[in-house]
Amino acid sequence: MALRRWRLVMATLVAVLLLVPAAGIGQTPGSLRLAITRDEGHLNPYTYQTGYPGWNLMTLVYDTLFYPDANNEPIPWLVRSAQVSRDGLTWTLTLHPNIRWHDGRSLTSEDIKFTFEYVIKVAHSRWTPPARVIERVDAPNPTTVVFHLKNADAGFRLRALADVPILPKHIWESVTTVPAARALTNVVGSGPYMVAEAQPAQFYRLTANPQYFAGQPRVRELILPVIRDATVSFTALQAAQIEANVRTLAPELVAQFERLPGMKVVRGAGFASTLLQFNMEHPLLKDPKLRQAIANTINTRLMVRLLMLGFAVGGSPGYLHPDSPLYAPGVKFEANKAKAVALLNEAGYRDRNNDGIREAQDGTPLRFTLLTLAGNPIRIRGAELIRTWLRDVGIDTTVRVQEDAAIIDQVWPEFDVCKGRRFDMAVFGWSAPVMTRPTALRDLFHSDCNIGVLNIGGYKNPQIDRMGEQLAITVDPARQKQIATEMQKIVAQDLPVHVLFYPDTIMAYRQAGYDRWVFQKGQGIINKLSFVDPPK
Amino acid sequence: MLRFLAGKGVQYALVLLFAITLNFLLPRMMPGSPLVFLVGEDIGFMPAAQRAQIMREFGLDQALWRQYLIYLGNLAQGDLGFSYQQGRPIAEIILNRLPWTLLLVGLSLLLATLIGVTWGLLAAWRRGTSVDLGSLGVAMFFESTPSFWLGMIFIAVFAAGFGWFPIFGAQTIGVPLSGAAWVVDRLRHLALPMATLTLITIPGMFMIMRYAMLAVLDEQYVTTARSKGVAERRVIYGHAMRNALLPVATVFMLNLGTVVSGATVIETVFSYPGIGRLLFEAVLARDYPVIQATFFIVTVSVIGMNIIADLLYPIIDPRVRHAR
Amino acid sequence: MRSNAAVKTTAEATDDGAAARAMAPTVRAPRRRFRLGAVGTVGVLLIVMLSSAGGLAPWIAPYDPDETVGDPFEPPSSRHWLGTNDVGRDILSELIYGIRISMTVGFLAAAVSIAIGTLVGIVAGYFSGWVDMLLMRLVDIVLVIPFLPLMILLAAYLGPSFWNIILVIGFLVWARPARVLRAQVLSLRSLDYVDAARALGASSARVLRRHILPGVLSLSLAQFILAASGAILIEASLSFLGLGDPTAKSWGSTLYYAQVRSAFLSGAWKWWVVPPGVLITAAVLGFAFTGYALEEALNPRLQR
Repeated sequence: MALRRWRLVMATLVAVLLLVPAAGIGQTPGSLRLAITRDEGHLNPYTYQTGYPGWNLMTLVYDTLFYPDANNEPIPWLVRSAQVSRDGLTWTLTLHPNIRWHDGRSLTSEDIKFTFEYVIKVAHSRWTPPARVIERVDAPNPTTVVFHLKNADAGFRLRALADVPILPKHIWESVTTVPAARALTNVVGSGPYMVAEAQPAQFYRLTANPQYFAGQPRVRELILPVIRDATVSFTALQAAQIEANVRTLAPELVAQFERLPGMKVVRGAGFASTLLQFNMEHPLLKDPKLRQAIANTINTRLMVRLLMLGFAVGGSPGYLHPDSPLYAPGVKFEANKAKAVALLNEAGYRDRNNDGIREAQDGTPLRFTLLTLAGNPIRIRGAELIRTWLRDVGIDTTVRVQEDAAIIDQVWPEFDVCKGRRFDMAVFGWSAPVMTRPTALRDLFHSDCNIGVLNIGGYKNPQIDRMGEQLAITVDPARQKQIATEMQKIVAQDLPVHVLFYPDTIMAYRQAGYDRWVFQKGQGIINKLSFVDPPK
Repeated sequence: MLRFLAGKGVQYALVLLFAITLNFLLPRMMPGSPLVFLVGEDIGFMPAAQRAQIMREFGLDQALWRQYLIYLGNLAQGDLGFSYQQGRPIAEIILNRLPWTLLLVGLSLLLATLIGVTWGLLAAWRRGTSVDLGSLGVAMFFESTPSFWLGMIFIAVFAAGFGWFPIFGAQTIGVPLSGAAWVVDRLRHLALPMATLTLITIPGMFMIMRYAMLAVLDEQYVTTARSKGVAERRVIYGHAMRNALLPVATVFMLNLGTVVSGATVIETVFSYPGIGRLLFEAVLARDYPVIQATFFIVTVSVIGMNIIADLLYPIIDPRVRHAR
Repeated sequence: MRSNAAVKTTAEATDDGAAARAMAPTVRAPRRRFRLGAVGTVGVLLIVMLSSAGGLAPWIAPYDPDETVGDPFEPPSSRHWLGTNDVGRDILSELIYGIRISMTVGFLAAAVSIAIGTLVGIVAGYFSGWVDMLLMRLVDIVLVIPFLPLMILLAAYLGPSFWNIILVIGFLVWARPARVLRAQVLSLRSLDYVDAARALGASSARVLRRHILPGVLSLSLAQFILAASGAILIEASLSFLGLGDPTAKSWGSTLYYAQVRSAFLSGAWKWWVVPPGVLITAAVLGFAFTGYALEEALNPRLQR
């Protein structure tokens, strides 16, 4: 009978599937499986997607003139020696000899000159702005490059020289428009790894460049499967289907992973921030006392314990992380609910009609909408906590969870601060690179929308503007620290943003797979230094 | 046949046009800008003039009707566009993903139909007994279970727990395989998603078959055949089943149309790189061209399957042929 | 996402009028004997139990589901029978209150879809001609609309709220019931006494009211219950994917948090994932059993 026959077929199929070795295909020696979170295009400078780890992965294939070390300080890489003129306007760099592209041709100063002229001409969101300070680039001989700047720039070394990947002139000179650059599939670089295979949205396979000028890379082959789902990526790590993960380990898994034999968990400060962003143009929120009061109701210590299970550092009101080099010691915030109530009463916000919600002196009730990103459960939970705490002091808050694009549309329309804003408050955050650049405080708080490109709250303070402009051209570290400290003190008073916490960077990996990762402060283990030593 | 083309054919063409227009407008009406995915997430640092330049170069600043005409023209040429986000021709992306979906849902549907039909037959034959009622209960249980929940429990128990099956993907990454090993690897990755999808599709097929069989078994001609002394088995197979299979076949073909968008949730849970998951990711990423193209493929499939069902039905059921 | 009809009648399975007529249920006079049967009883019992638990939530839930009452990720204990979630809230309480959200969404979405579906089905089936053709093409179009992006669009404009999910599900799910009801109306219309009434000059409104509507109402009810069953499932899937309102604590959103907070990896899935899934299945099953029993009762041909 048909039924019996089908049962037989099914049983055979199941048996076949079960008889196959259950452990799956193991790790080939010399090869490392590192899960990444999303497709990174063709891994060349114009197609990679995300700041972290996209840029870091791209720099495995392409080299920069300098490279940030474990402390985010730029060290010479393609460059052997550098000389800067007194006024900071002329940079003379000598390259290492015998650097070759993956296709065998030599990398010379012509490529450097070409690259910097290229990124000015063919717009790139990350490199065009810092490259604009360059007046002219000269290449007097194959191993010497001279940069002439229009003005002194504190961030030139980090944001331009240690950030812009060098492009092979012989390949990129015919790619003259942005769409063409975005469509270019060529991945010939000079870096320690070559792209051997790229399967769209599935994985990349990188093989070590045997001729790499700084020496043989430590891992022969890198396989980068794209695992979009966080839980799946950690499950795969736990089940030894991958050896490492670019994702920071979720707090709820730390204890469990630390107990696993063969798994190593390294933890360090994280420079990404989670904060409460105020709209400084809001009729009610422009009152600093109200902002201070709101900030005082938020128990960030409890948030760190509850949301991050302790794996975060409480927010500093000057924005900068306590471990960041320009942090002003002593700039702290201690939430105090009594103080919040006192501030509200003092500023005239009382419950005049006994509905449980305070009103301003003109009768406007304190009702706000708090936006938060869908798909980020920790922020959603954070928003819910804030709502509860604010309700306790008579401020009514509605939490609205929305898609990324919808939030950006209200908070940072078209990523252009000049386009205005229409929101009350939002739980927002910035990624690590925002913290590491010396001009962070200017980008975040300058009132000119073309300078303060991250000032999404519309904060205006002429003192901050002046100091921010000065900071950008100050090259002396001591003087930088001085200006930054002053700025942080003012920001801590004004509170245009209230930083909630900085999640720690926690990386887990299998020791047996590879154990020589280098932890870059605030960012993680995915960087060139983990695979190759700096050139001598 | 010609009458069909003139009548229903025109209607389907209208449906297609309406669907295409809707598909075009819907993504356009969504808030937010695709710029972040043109340039990557560093776009925040770019001055406005540069952003405008990029918008011009990608044609996003053109009037809506202009974009629509271009879209129609491209479709007519079979050009599905270029993905901003992935920097690849979309036809290539879809071609890469489509086979996985077809494999997963096609096999599941086939298996579910075979099992469901056989099971429905059994239940109808043993109508009213505990086998029948028990089957109904089990079938409805599986149809009430959330597919993603079932899938995740499978992963937790069989993949992460026992380690019998891989946790994600359609193939083992980076390790070149050939021959039998290649087939087995694909099957192992397919096993859990297919099991989940099949389990929740079987009940539907089972129900239809059972109802159809019961309806037909009451038909007069079966009673007549019985009274003539034909062996019961022949009665069932010869007369009843052929007629009962009609609705099953129709539903099978209609379900085929939803194959390409069908298993979205399951593909998401198992990180299976198919069309359903592609659509979901593209919508979240506001990748307009990919959304449009995937919608188009889905629309074409549904309508195509409808047409095939309409054409085949008269051939299968002679009664209907003349009733037209 | 699979189709929501838990039970397909042969009339629904085939779209073709002729075949439908061949297998359509024979229609009797409006008064019929109503027998629930074992399956129906189980279904009604499930619905009643869940509804009362949801209604009595403030009295039977051990804690306030919005309050942090323990440490995060606590396993089940005597204080928390199902442990606590990622922010230290009691899971059992959250699930009990979740009954309200999930079932309300189901009911309301089904109500919207059946209201539309019945209207369309009656108008199309009774008036025939180009009205019928137009409405049926509309049905085809609705069935073609990709559900997910539409959901996101509305969620982005109106906010991922409770009401959006209800309206969106309702506005997309009416199509299949419309087809079923249309088939029913077609057969009702062809009955002798209805023909006679029309021949005698009765107005359409009168015929609709006295003959068609009563015959359709009970099938409508069955379709409503089946639609509710599917709506609960769809809401759970949407919330799980993160497309619902995560601040409205439906069962689907409980599963969403469980999944994004690594419940499957930490073993917490046993008490955080299994119970909500069981509850969803129970609710959907309850409605499906009831709807099935109703359909059986209304369709004498399928009775034993």
